[in-house]
Amino acid sequence: MLKNYLKIAWRNLIKNKAFTFINIAGLTIGMASAALILLWVQNEVSYDQFHEKKDRLYTMYNRAVFDGNLWSWNTTPKIMAKTLKADYPQIEDATHTTECTFLFTVGDKKLMERGYFTDQGFINMFSFPLAMGERKKALVDNSSIILTEKLAKKLYGSNEAAMGKTVKIDSNANFTVSAVMKDLPNNTRFKFGYLLPWSYMKKIGWDDEYWGNNSVQTYALLKKGVSLATANARIKNITKSHSDQKDTEVFLHPASKWRLYSQFENGVNVGGRIGTVRLFAIIAGLILLIACINFMNLSTARSEKRAKEVGIRKVAGAPRGLLIGQFLAESILIALFGGILALLIVQLSLSGFSQLTGKELVLPYASVDFWILFIGFILLTGVIAGSYPAFYLSSFKPIKVLKGTFKAANALVAPRKVLVIIQFTTAIALIICTIIIKSQLQYGQNRDTGYKKDNLVYSYMNGDMGKHYNAIRSEMVASGAITGITKTSAPITEGWSDSWGYSWPGKDPNARLDFNVFNVDGDFTKTVGLKIVDGRDIDIVKYPTDSLAMLLNQAAVKIMGFKNPVGQIINNGDTKWHVVGVVKDFILQSPYEPVHPMVIQGPSSWFNIVHYKLNPARSTAANLKNIEQIFKKYNPDYPFEYTFVDEDYAKKFAEEQRVGTLATLFAGLTVFISCLGLFGLATYMAQNRIKEIGVRKVLGASVARITRLLSIDFLKLVIISFIVAAPLAWWGMTEWLKSYTYRIDISIWVFIGAGVISVFIAMATISYQAIKAAIANPVKSLRSE
Amino acid sequence: MVKEEKMIKITDLEKFYRTEEVETVALNRLSLEVKKGEFVAIMGPSGCGKSTLLNIIGMLDDPDGGSYVFNGTEIAHYSERKRADLRKHNIGFVFQSFNLIDELTVFENVELPLIYTGVAAADRVKRVEEVLDKMQIMHRRNHYPQQLSGGQQQRVAIARAVVNKPKLILADEPTGNLDSSNGNEVMELLTDLNEQGTTIVMVTHSEHDARYSHRIIRLLDGHTVVENIMI
Repeated sequence: MLKNYLKIAWRNLIKNKAFTFINIAGLTIGMASAALILLWVQNEVSYDQFHEKKDRLYTMYNRAVFDGNLWSWNTTPKIMAKTLKADYPQIEDATHTTECTFLFTVGDKKLMERGYFTDQGFINMFSFPLAMGERKKALVDNSSIILTEKLAKKLYGSNEAAMGKTVKIDSNANFTVSAVMKDLPNNTRFKFGYLLPWSYMKKIGWDDEYWGNNSVQTYALLKKGVSLATANARIKNITKSHSDQKDTEVFLHPASKWRLYSQFENGVNVGGRIGTVRLFAIIAGLILLIACINFMNLSTARSEKRAKEVGIRKVAGAPRGLLIGQFLAESILIALFGGILALLIVQLSLSGFSQLTGKELVLPYASVDFWILFIGFILLTGVIAGSYPAFYLSSFKPIKVLKGTFKAANALVAPRKVLVIIQFTTAIALIICTIIIKSQLQYGQNRDTGYKKDNLVYSYMNGDMGKHYNAIRSEMVASGAITGITKTSAPITEGWSDSWGYSWPGKDPNARLDFNVFNVDGDFTKTVGLKIVDGRDIDIVKYPTDSLAMLLNQAAVKIMGFKNPVGQIINNGDTKWHVVGVVKDFILQSPYEPVHPMVIQGPSSWFNIVHYKLNPARSTAANLKNIEQIFKKYNPDYPFEYTFVDEDYAKKFAEEQRVGTLATLFAGLTVFISCLGLFGLATYMAQNRIKEIGVRKVLGASVARITRLLSIDFLKLVIISFIVAAPLAWWGMTEWLKSYTYRIDISIWVFIGAGVISVFIAMATISYQAIKAAIANPVKSLRSE
Repeated sequence: MVKEEKMIKITDLEKFYRTEEVETVALNRLSLEVKKGEFVAIMGPSGCGKSTLLNIIGMLDDPDGGSYVFNGTEIAHYSERKRADLRKHNIGFVFQSFNLIDELTVFENVELPLIYTGVAAADRVKRVEEVLDKMQIMHRRNHYPQQLSGGQQQRVAIARAVVNKPKLILADEPTGNLDSSNGNEVMELLTDLNEQGTTIVMVTHSEHDARYSHRIIRLLDGHTVVENIMI
């Protein structure tokens, strides 16, 4: 029976090559797009779900009221992990991590690498398997280091060569490789090349026990049987009971929610990435549905051809169930071809798609589950595409069909109209969304940063740079490679530190106001091109007391309520800063958010970064060469690394850019698949109405009139689709834009533009067939009668 | 050789076709009988209800009133599924326009009813070859319908109708699309089948063809007007 089905299915495919091509092409593109998106979705939902103890793993969050709002954040005091383990019997284990960047030296090899400081708890709690070494002892010794396979290979060539070797870190400390960890999977929040023992951090004085310094991530493993509610109730006041920080509460956030539910508003979890994941899962479903609709429409539109076969089979004794089975077998066969081609396309486009999504995605060919899912995907597609045609075609009455009284309905009967509307509604909505996302992206990119990014570069201060900074600075200035230089605490594109520890005359004692903290040594405004709106820049040479000078941004002046900010004294603990100037607000963090109040502290602080402005009168290459020579002279152990601020700033738009590119891509594919189907229907309609067109022409209808007649029904559907799509897209995009404080107003022109584009594309698709039918010689079509 | 046992007994059969405005009477309290082994021709002008009657006899359609006893069983109110089941074991059809499936070969077309009655594959080959041989189209077994002449196509259609050894063959103007020589061949085939015991009910416009039958039933406006017994 199945052989008979497949035989006739195959012969049908061969016989109707154009329809077969449209069906398979549409399904292939639809399945490939859906598969790529689902691969990404699968990666997102599987984040950190591979840890054996995932059901008992939590990360610690703080929550406290600032400026009248309840804020939640996941940086915590360094002392918290230790305290959790010691004082709370509900906690089986606890650990913490903080990022670090060190220079690794092995022989002549010198590499700057990022890793974590953590402790043995990390190895015990999380399921990162070791390729070599013993789990229990891996991080116990304060001179041991765990390398990932990738780093072990980079440094030593192989895991075996790395084990037990001594590696020099930052030119002053030696560590022994105690274990090699298998490379991290692509679905974990942790990103590191090595793990260093926390005890080393203590040794070099980077550890502290201050409950007010929230700087590391803390993780807890609950004992078996302890509920989240119980644990939360017990540890809520850990900070209050161990310190004078009386306003901060603590809560646990489960591993199952780390990736997708990380946003909190007023202390309540409001989702996060899950929104994007859901959106793309829906888009995947819609693209697949749209491809299936092509199959449904074309199969049922060609029903006249198949009707005879149905009639004969019924007369020969076929029950309806078997006929349904036959048509489903056909659609599954087509889905199988589509699926195989789609797999090929996915494989070919995976590296490009990985680049687009910013994560390395792979097809797990070795996994049995993958093949089961693949077959399931084909069956599902085949059944979705084939079900309506199967029920429709198998319902024909043999007597009508075989006596020739059966006439297939017009190409555009009601169910097909609805299906075409679904296709074009999706396509038009995606076009509108794409335009809006792109506009919002551009809006953010066009916002004035408040400083001059061109030729501005920064480097990390490492090794001996701090010691020789003055010499480096003088030589750089003398070389003519730069026009300005300043030390800072963080890159100007990132806010690394914030604090609510500031007070000033007239401050409401109950208010907790948070400030971004930025440290500079001098020449900051000149180097980065900031505008001073009041007072002057910090200048330790001219004003020796400027080591405790402070600049405020306009947002800080406003929130502090100063009429005359210059000369004011700002206290932070025992330190008294005096305000010497006010700078125009500039964007430190999100270009879509208002500028946060900021204090810029003078030279009596800590520095990590040096910013310098390249001399625009000389070539960039020459400038960088000069600087490299100077850096190498004073800091020979470290490679010269630098970052252009404009490139760094552009990364702030990575997420919007990614969403925008994906939206463009999938909108394009949706439009293409929909048009493919429309082209098929138009072809069928032109064939079906050939006699009618002939009669009309003989009676004097013009080509234009016939083209219009053939196009008008399709045009109506596109217009209805637009009417449905516009409010849906408007609603969706209004919700999306709500997450941006700085956002565009959705313009009516977006809708007009999208409407015109869709009508144009649809008409271009149909017109070929319509015009072809209209200019055909009527004698031919009428003679065949 | 007419046996006295009744195969078909139709009494007061009614069938209406309704559209929104008009109700057309296709069969108007029609009664008739067909005995086992009989060859009956049904004649009448277009629209007199011949094909409707044949469809009801063939269990492709159900009547709106009256009784239809097939082989001693009342089936007027059978469900579509039950009718289909009864049909595939008892009735073969021959149409004016042959109605072969274009995508299947001669062999596959003839094989079709055997597939639906669940005959095993090896048995199917044997039976199809047997019947193709009998119809003298064995040499065309791997051809597609469009590669055959009209007469050959109709012989394939008859082969398909008889492959399941039905007790009754219903032929709807079987020579309508054929020239006289091919038409005569088809009529000879049907006569042979009848002589071997198969009951045949044939709708035709052709007096020539009707003469091959034992009895002509003439219909007008949905009921029997006259019956001629052929000698």
